[in-house]
Amino acid sequence: MHPILARNNVRVSGRGSRTLLFAHGFGCDQNMWRFVAPAFEDEYRVVLFDYVGSGRSDARAWDPQRYGSLEGYAQDVLDVCEALDLHDATFVGHSVSGMIGILAAIREPARFDDLILIGPSPRYLNDGPDYVGGFERADLEGLLEVMDKNYLGWASYLAPIVMQNAGRPELTRELEESFCSTDPKIARRFAEVTFFSDNRKDLANVTHPSLILQCSEDAIAPSAVGDYLARSIPGATLRRLRATGHCPHMSHPEETIEVMREYLAAAPSRREQAAASPSIRHRESWTRS
Amino acid sequence: MDEILNDAPCGLLSFFDDGRILRINATLCRWLGRPREDLDSGTIDRILSPGARVFYQTHFFPLLKISGAAEEIYLTLQGGNGELVPVMVNAVRRVADGSAVNDCVVVRMRQRDRFEDELIQARRVAEEASQAKSRFLSMMSHELRTPLQAIALFAELLASGKHGPVTGEQLDDLRRIRTATGSLVALIEDILNFARLETGKLEVRMERVEVAGAIRRAGSLLRPRFEEAGIEYQESAVPGLEAVADPVRLQQVLLNLLTNALKFTPRGGTVRCEADASDPTVRIRVRDTGSGIPAADLQRIFDPFVQVERTRVPTGQRGVGLGLAISRELARAMRGDLTVDSEPGQGSVFTVELSAAGPEV
Repeated sequence: MHPILARNNVRVSGRGSRTLLFAHGFGCDQNMWRFVAPAFEDEYRVVLFDYVGSGRSDARAWDPQRYGSLEGYAQDVLDVCEALDLHDATFVGHSVSGMIGILAAIREPARFDDLILIGPSPRYLNDGPDYVGGFERADLEGLLEVMDKNYLGWASYLAPIVMQNAGRPELTRELEESFCSTDPKIARRFAEVTFFSDNRKDLANVTHPSLILQCSEDAIAPSAVGDYLARSIPGATLRRLRATGHCPHMSHPEETIEVMREYLAAAPSRREQAAASPSIRHRESWTRS
Repeated sequence: MDEILNDAPCGLLSFFDDGRILRINATLCRWLGRPREDLDSGTIDRILSPGARVFYQTHFFPLLKISGAAEEIYLTLQGGNGELVPVMVNAVRRVADGSAVNDCVVVRMRQRDRFEDELIQARRVAEEASQAKSRFLSMMSHELRTPLQAIALFAELLASGKHGPVTGEQLDDLRRIRTATGSLVALIEDILNFARLETGKLEVRMERVEVAGAIRRAGSLLRPRFEEAGIEYQESAVPGLEAVADPVRLQQVLLNLLTNALKFTPRGGTVRCEADASDPTVRIRVRDTGSGIPAADLQRIFDPFVQVERTRVPTGQRGVGLGLAISRELARAMRGDLTVDSEPGQGSVFTVELSAAGPEV
């Protein structure tokens, strides 16, 4: 087996010529896709993975320098692409994985066809009068404090959660080993990297078509951020969801699946359009080379 | 809501998956200093502090949704005047009339919150002190190494007779100086390595390493000492086996393990170094027929500065107890591990696990 597949706990399922690569956000792992990903298995090859330091990845591969910026996480995505020899995949990223996917796609365009970004944000902190990220620095310090306090009793926090699945022992076992079982130090660093980074300058370099799913009343990525992204990413489509909160793929999976299906079904025509547009043609030649 | 529940000495809260509050009891409204009408129709975001909102979305809700329950979650709520209310939350999820409802018990924890703040602060101070200690160790080792090397060099120079004739007794003394200096330099190297590992400054250069060759090189360095100690030394490795490792560090680990086995195996015993692979892991085992390690000590032997009491080792050979700690950290730095199995009276097996190198591209 390719070492990356074990390192990032890569799971491949489904059938189809096109691949959906699902990337989880901060705080959880690939488990969060379980309400959405199976719906695509009949038509697509579905790839799930955990970032190094999350879920059942090999935490020994975590390196403070590499994972001290989102670029390190983008490298995880590209490593998975390389291990599976992915080309023209559709990247589906939640929350911080939106920006991670953008960084990966800028670095190796041929790996991806398009990007589906669920609740993304290029910058969580407010900046001056013109940019509303939704948070002040003190708010995010508050998050780090809440994390610290929860990790203080981390073991007891994790242990009882599995009891509710008495009817499905296999699920219980899986959760016991994996869910949110991040090392507290790694999780804290991931939080800092996520919430203190600023990727606004990268947005203009996106050459892939993208779909932004914007929830209503999202406390983490407010609508102003969705608007900003739609203005700043060339060729982006913004879809507002009825779903509230920050995790529509968990709280409102049906709507999320429906909107994703709609977008993917329109994809061939979108690709033809892209081929005709000069800014994207460059990428097409990339794909062939 | 039932009167008892309404005024119970804990907050009670039910909300839907989309965050809309279904019910909230009077106690919780009172803690938050907000009228019930204000909260009844709102979402849970409205009572969480901004930091807790993020934690709710990234940890708490996913946990609740996937596992159906969450216990002992620390959150900070936000009162009507912006004041923070630290609480502990237990939650379960149930399905009522076709939609999922999350029920929470909320306990206020003002005193305990301050106590935990102090604990966290104390831990941080301890961690910083430990790092400062490692930096100090590293600096001191550097500073000690240079004069020691000078002592060894000048003892050598004197012994060479370049500065005039040396008597036999003087030569013996100079040899003792060199031997003692050599042991000190080795000790300091250990401490330096350990300090580097602790501060995460140790770099590994991973490449394909032919395992049988690595074992052969380590073995050849120690063969004379095995012979001297009357211990039979054997090697066996699957030919062509390749691991992903730092060749220099792997050599260091193997030398540590073999030296260790040498120390703890009595005359007439056997030490065996063998390697095999089961995809995707290469395992290198060092087996000895020594006295073994009591079960209670098995976990401790990898802790730094721990030497399990094994009386037959002469004091001069004991070292400072860093060899195994360093070896395990090195194995982990190479994305592998070092483990031990031992039965008192039967000997010990130390196993180095490394990733197998895939087929060459």
